[in-house]
Amino acid sequence: MADKVKLRSSDQQMFEVEEEVAFQSLTVKNMSEDTGLDAPIPLPNVSSKILAKVIEYCKYHVDAEKKADDKPSKTEEEIKTWDTDFVKVDQSTLFELILAANYLNIKSLLDLTCLTVANMIKGKTPEEIRKTFNIVNDFTPEEEEEVRKENQWAFE
Amino acid sequence: MGSPKAPVSQATQHPHNVQPWGNYLFAQGKDTRNAGLGRLRALDDEFLMQVLALLPAETLGRLACVNRAFYCFSNHEDLWRALTLEAPELEGKWRFKNTWQQTYLKASLPIHNFHRKHPLRVQGFYSDLLYQPWHCTTVPLHSSWLKRDTIDRRTGLSVEDFKQQYELPNKPVILQNTIDDWPALLNWNSKYLKKVFKGNTILAGDYPMGFDNFLAYSQRSRDEMPLYLFDKHFASKAPQLAADYKVPKYFDEDLFSVLGEAGRPDFRWLIMGPPRSGSTFHKDPNATSAWNAVVTGSKKWIMYPPSALPPGVHASDDGADVACPVSLIEWFLNFYKESQKGPVQPLEGICRAGEVLFVPRGWWHMALNLEESIAVTQNYVSSANLQHVVDFLKGGRAELVSGCPFEQRGRLHDAFLSALQQQRPQVHCLSSCAELLLSP
Repeated sequence: MADKVKLRSSDQQMFEVEEEVAFQSLTVKNMSEDTGLDAPIPLPNVSSKILAKVIEYCKYHVDAEKKADDKPSKTEEEIKTWDTDFVKVDQSTLFELILAANYLNIKSLLDLTCLTVANMIKGKTPEEIRKTFNIVNDFTPEEEEEVRKENQWAFE
Repeated sequence: MGSPKAPVSQATQHPHNVQPWGNYLFAQGKDTRNAGLGRLRALDDEFLMQVLALLPAETLGRLACVNRAFYCFSNHEDLWRALTLEAPELEGKWRFKNTWQQTYLKASLPIHNFHRKHPLRVQGFYSDLLYQPWHCTTVPLHSSWLKRDTIDRRTGLSVEDFKQQYELPNKPVILQNTIDDWPALLNWNSKYLKKVFKGNTILAGDYPMGFDNFLAYSQRSRDEMPLYLFDKHFASKAPQLAADYKVPKYFDEDLFSVLGEAGRPDFRWLIMGPPRSGSTFHKDPNATSAWNAVVTGSKKWIMYPPSALPPGVHASDDGADVACPVSLIEWFLNFYKESQKGPVQPLEGICRAGEVLFVPRGWWHMALNLEESIAVTQNYVSSANLQHVVDFLKGGRAELVSGCPFEQRGRLHDAFLSALQQQRPQVHCLSSCAELLLSP
């Protein structure tokens, strides 16, 4: 019977998670080495909503790597598809996932979420970028013209 | 409130007028950062930078046109330095212009006519992540950082006295007048190095580049942590350089030489860098000791004994991972004062042209070039540290052994001892008689 780890979110919700899944987070792993597995590990920087998502991510990836008949249970293609769907969330959730992945020290999740935001910026015009993230253009008309000339090469 | 802050002098103002975050607390005006990032303000600068680091150049160029805050972020030099150095298609092609951004653009779009004007200066933009590197590049070095001179300096030391007073007790020392006859002291300067490296590349920050390109970069860059020429292949690329110096008499036992040049771990480096370049705190590999000779210029050294972790440095328990998250200047700004008050005082000193520093095994050390400096350094094994090196290699952690191909690391211990037994049998005996060696 696998060992379970208790995690407590910032809003005091308790999550019981298999050790292998919880230890995808190096922060949790290190903290549990100090305090043992009996006491719940407090995660004051992560809300229950985000923690649930993070646990979902870790659980999938642990299962996906498990081998049956000497082959991992999920192909790279399948994992990629799952990851792509996983990050189809609203921006605020996505940004919170970045902060959580950093705090919990889960490199693959941090890489995935940062790449997702990068892909939201790539290939867009300045106006499209503003629209995507609700950014206000605070250049004066003169500044805007100067900056545009300076970066003309990026539009050709 | 307190007296008004002294105005930051023009010379140290960030090119885009980015202000440190601390200034925001005293500012009256609008905060361009949070208002300017839209929903992305949820991400700290650090994460925003991680995202921007994934973007290609054209996207950064367009991002700069979004608004003032993104103009500042997109123009951050770190991004353009990474783009230049990591682009396989630009290797060997880029030539350093005045900034990494200009360098990248000129190299990737050689026929484009770039519009150049003074960089836009924004108001009300606060970011430590963008401001701090600029500050570190321009802040004058405090005299207090350079004053303390506590590493022993010795002239005319006999080899025996060196071993008894420094090597065996494992204590640093600056050896004077021991390399006076090196041709290097007469020959080595940028012009000479340019000549001997003609047709070859050198390694700076582990990136290959032409020497003259490195020189241009060295003289113009405003990088917080300048790329540092640190080349272990200098002797094979430019044999004249190897002929210009010889190992000082104190260090010529050099036991790893029994493995031959092909079998021994990396052992010698040519080092060159502009002012403020250098190495952050680290311990040398494989439990070896080292000597470092300054040929031109000067270096400020700070050294801590093996068991004392320097402030600002984090190391894993097994010493496998060392993180010194701050740059050299940032270390001085944030930690030097603390280092003067701690339970263990570091040894410090400035090594000038013609002087050689002995770095005993296991000692933490950091070096800051005070001016453009050229140095040569070698790591070595002698009877004094032989047992430690043997124990280290026997330890069985192949990943901790460094300076040789991965496949060789596990076998290095056996290969070394067997070669030692064949070529230096009396020394080989010492490795198992270490207690006899160290007793009075």
